[in-house]
Parts: sequence; structure tokens; C-alpha cells
Amino acid sequence: MITLRGVSHSFGGVHALAGIDLDVDEHEFVAVIGRSGCGKSTLLRLVAGLLTPSEGRVEVAGDPVVKPRRDVSFMFQRPALLPWRTVLSNVLLPIEVFGLSPRAYRDRAHELLGLVGLGGFEQRLPHELSGGMQQRVSLCRSLIQSPRVMLMDEPFSALDAITRTELSEELQRVQLELPRAVVFVTHSVDEAVLLADRIVVLSPRPGRIHELADVGLPRPRALGQVELDQVSRELRGLLGEVTA
Amino acid sequence: MKVVLPVLGLLALIGAWWLATIVFGVDSFLVPSPADVVASFLELPGYLLEQTLVTLWEAVAGFGLSIMIGVPLALLIVGSTVLERMFYPLLVALNAVPKVAIAPIVVVWFGFGIESKVLMVVLVCIFPIVISTASGMKSTPHELVELFRSLDAPRRHEFFKLRLRHALPQVFVGLKVAITLAVIGAVIGEFVGARAGLGYVIYTSGASADTSLAFAAMALLAVISVALFYGLGYVEKKVLPYA
Ligand SMILES: Nc1ncnc2c1ncn2[C@@H]1O[C@H](COP(=O)(O)OP(=O)(O)OP(=O)(O)O)[C@@H](O)[C@H]1O
Ligand SMILES: [Mg+2]
Repeated sequence: MITLRGVSHSFGGVHALAGIDLDVDEHEFVAVIGRSGCGKSTLLRLVAGLLTPSEGRVEVAGDPVVKPRRDVSFMFQRPALLPWRTVLSNVLLPIEVFGLSPRAYRDRAHELLGLVGLGGFEQRLPHELSGGMQQRVSLCRSLIQSPRVMLMDEPFSALDAITRTELSEELQRVQLELPRAVVFVTHSVDEAVLLADRIVVLSPRPGRIHELADVGLPRPRALGQVELDQVSRELRGLLGEVTA
Repeated sequence: MKVVLPVLGLLALIGAWWLATIVFGVDSFLVPSPADVVASFLELPGYLLEQTLVTLWEAVAGFGLSIMIGVPLALLIVGSTVLERMFYPLLVALNAVPKVAIAPIVVVWFGFGIESKVLMVVLVCIFPIVISTASGMKSTPHELVELFRSLDAPRRHEFFKLRLRHALPQVFVGLKVAITLAVIGAVIGEFVGARAGLGYVIYTSGASADTSLAFAAMALLAVISVALFYGLGYVEKKVLPYA
């Protein structure tokens, strides 16, 4: 579903990414970890079509990415909700922007909000919700696009530990129910091991793929499982090499 | 309480004024007492109300025109760096020119009628409207702009669904500044050359040394300004209930 071949990117003099080769399958969940500034967000923005690579090629569903696509959704670290819109109309924003009829998607929006436990909150304004609930709304806004590819840039890192765990388990559930290609950037090794089929470890300056690890554990997984902790420990070792 | 306190404030002011005219025995030719002013209004109520409407209409028309010109201008400035670089300094320069200095020229160009007054109002109003709208639109959080980009939203969506909507509270700040200036602009125009309006009344009553009439006209100007300002506040509450 996603193909990167020899992708490099520089911002002026800053060499952010170099020689990235990566394939992500149709239903595959790939997590990206690495130190701050090693180019994780840049990688996502290249796949999203928000940036054009300095070198190499980026393809989604077999087509070169030249601009943002409707079947690729992007979820940010912060919920990025419009404060003057209700939860429901925030979820329907992509539909409106795409020039489709929001009315035709209302049921779908209700359904998605129900799926993440926000049934009954449709008419609330974002400031009436907790940070975790806001990020769930943002997840629904991504899902209403029926994306074939979901790009998530540290979507849970602004949340407290408990909410974060809840949301990652919820995301696992969503991915089991509605599988799609996901690239998920995170700083948390445990989160990556819980969610991902494969984990990309980036090394910094410029960002390169240091390691591509298969998780290969059965689902559903749960945080704190012994098998998960083992994989986590190995990955921390790998990250240690990168940092050293 | 919302009404009581301002009324109390007004009564206190009028009381102090009245007291001062009595205690210091000021000549009513210099400072008329409140009673003189009311008497002078009651002599010509129809005429004064007519002049009030003239000034009110000039201010409102100019204010409306300023919104119709100012908001699109702000959109252009935010939308294009080239236009911003070209016209922002000009706008600042235009605003720096004292309006009193332009007024005679404006009257020469547009005559003694309403047109020159409306133009004066536009000249004083447009700046706060453009500045508040443009800076409000520019202060749109980066992540929201990025969201619209990631949806490949058309520019007009980014502008109207996001930036302008985000700017609304600040637009209203600019509108409130502008609406008080609007009345001043109209009066400046009337001072320089007019056949009607409260500014014209003040100007001519000064010439005939009818101080009470001038005070009555000023009181009416104050009433217009306050009414416009709070009227706008009411509209704001309707449009932005959560701000
Ligand atoms: N718009 C930009 N202009 C210039 N340099 C940039 C820009 N965006 C990113 N960079 C640089 O590119 C490098 C990679 O940035 P990127 O945001 O991709 O890192 P990251 O891995 O997402 O970091 P973090 O974990 O802190 O989010 C950094 O050195 C950063 O300074
Ligand atoms: Mg980042």
C-alpha cells in the first residue's frame, strides 16, 4: 500500500532523512521509533504528500504521491479540533472539505463515535471534553475518511499514562475491526510493541532505517504481557545502540 | 445591576456638573447647566433628532462600507505575501495621516453632501478592521492549518471555514474600536463642510455662541456612540455565544 524507495529529504542544509526503503502492506501496522529529531515526522509528512522528497520516490496504492490524498488520513500529536464546532461536525469536517454531503455521513459519524465510547457526546464542544476524549474525536475524524492509509504522529504522547494505555488498546481494537495500512510514530517502545506488526528503528542525523523488527506476537495483545516485555527489552537495546 | 450601575454613573456625572455650575457660579454662556441643555433640546427637538439621524446614518453607512472593503482587504493581505508587502506599509502610512488634515480635501472632492462624510468614516474605520481581521487570521494555530492542508482543502475552505472563523473574536475587537471612531469621523467631516448633522450643529452654534445647543448636540453624539457600541456588543453575543 505504501512504498518508499531511496527517499531522502533535506530542509535547506539540514539532512533529515537519507535512503529510506520501506514497504507497508494493505493491512499492516508499522510503528516508527527513534530519538527526537531523527526525521519521524518528516517521514510521515512525505507519505502524506505534505512534503515532496528531495530524492527518491513515495507511492501510495501504486501512485506517486504528489499532494495529500483523500484516502490517507493524518492524525497529529494534538487533537486539532475546531473549537467552535461540535464533536459531530468536527468529525464530519473531512466530508465537508471533500465536497460530499455531511448528511449522508451522519450515521457513520455516530457509529464511529460509538465505537470509541463517545456516544451521546455528539453535540458537545471540544472544550467540554477531556484530552483523551478529544483525541478520540480526532481518531473518528480520521476514520470517517475511510482511509486506506492512516498516518499517526505521536497521537497519544500528550496524554496521561492511564488514558494513553486505554487509547492504545482501543486503537488495537479498531485496527482488528477495520484493518488498514498504518504508520504510527511513537516514543514509547511498549506502545509500539503492543500495536505494531513491524517496528522501524530510525537512527538520527540523517535519519536512516537502523533496524526493521518483526513483532510476530498473536493478537489481541495486552500491555504487561511477558512476551511483550521481552520484545520491548530487545528494542530498548537496539535504541541504545542508536543513541550511543 | 447591568443597567443600574451605568445609570448611577451617569447621574453622578450630571449631578457633579450641575453642582459645579451652581457652586462656582459659572456663566451659562461658558458652561451651561444640565437644565439649560435640556431646555435648549426641548426648543428644537424635531430638528435635533433629524440632525442626529443624519450623523447616525453617515456613521453606520461608513462603518458598513469599511467592513465590506476591510475584510476582503485583510483576506488579500493574509492570502498573498506579495500584496501584503505592497499594501501594508501604504495602509499604515494612510492611517498615520491626521484625518483632520484630509477632511478639507475630501470635502473639496466629494462636496458638502453625505458622500464626503461617509468617506471620512471609512478612512478612520478601515484601519482597525483590516488590522484586527488580518492579525486574527494569521494567529490561526499551525496544527489546524496543517489539518486543512492534510485534507487537501481548497484555499477558500482554509480561509472561510478556518482562518476567518478563528479570527472572528478579534474581528469584533477591531469593529468595536472602529464603531466609536465612526462617529468621530462623521463629525470631523461635518465640521469642515456640511449642511446637516450634529457636527454641523455644533460648528454653527459655536459661531453664534449658543453653548447650550452645542452641549445638547454633544450629548446626542454621546448617545449615538454608546448605542452603536452596545448594539455591536449585542450582535457579538449572538454571533459568538461562547467567546
Ligand atoms: N520545516 C522544517 N524546516 C527546517 N528544518 C526542519 C523542518 N522540519 C523538520 N526539520 C528538521 O528536520 C529534522 C527532523 O525533524 P522531524 O520533525 O522529522 O523529527 P522527529 O523525529 O519527528 O522529532 P520529534 O520526535 O521531536 O517529533 C530535525 O533536525 C528538524 O530540525
Ligand atoms: Mg515529530
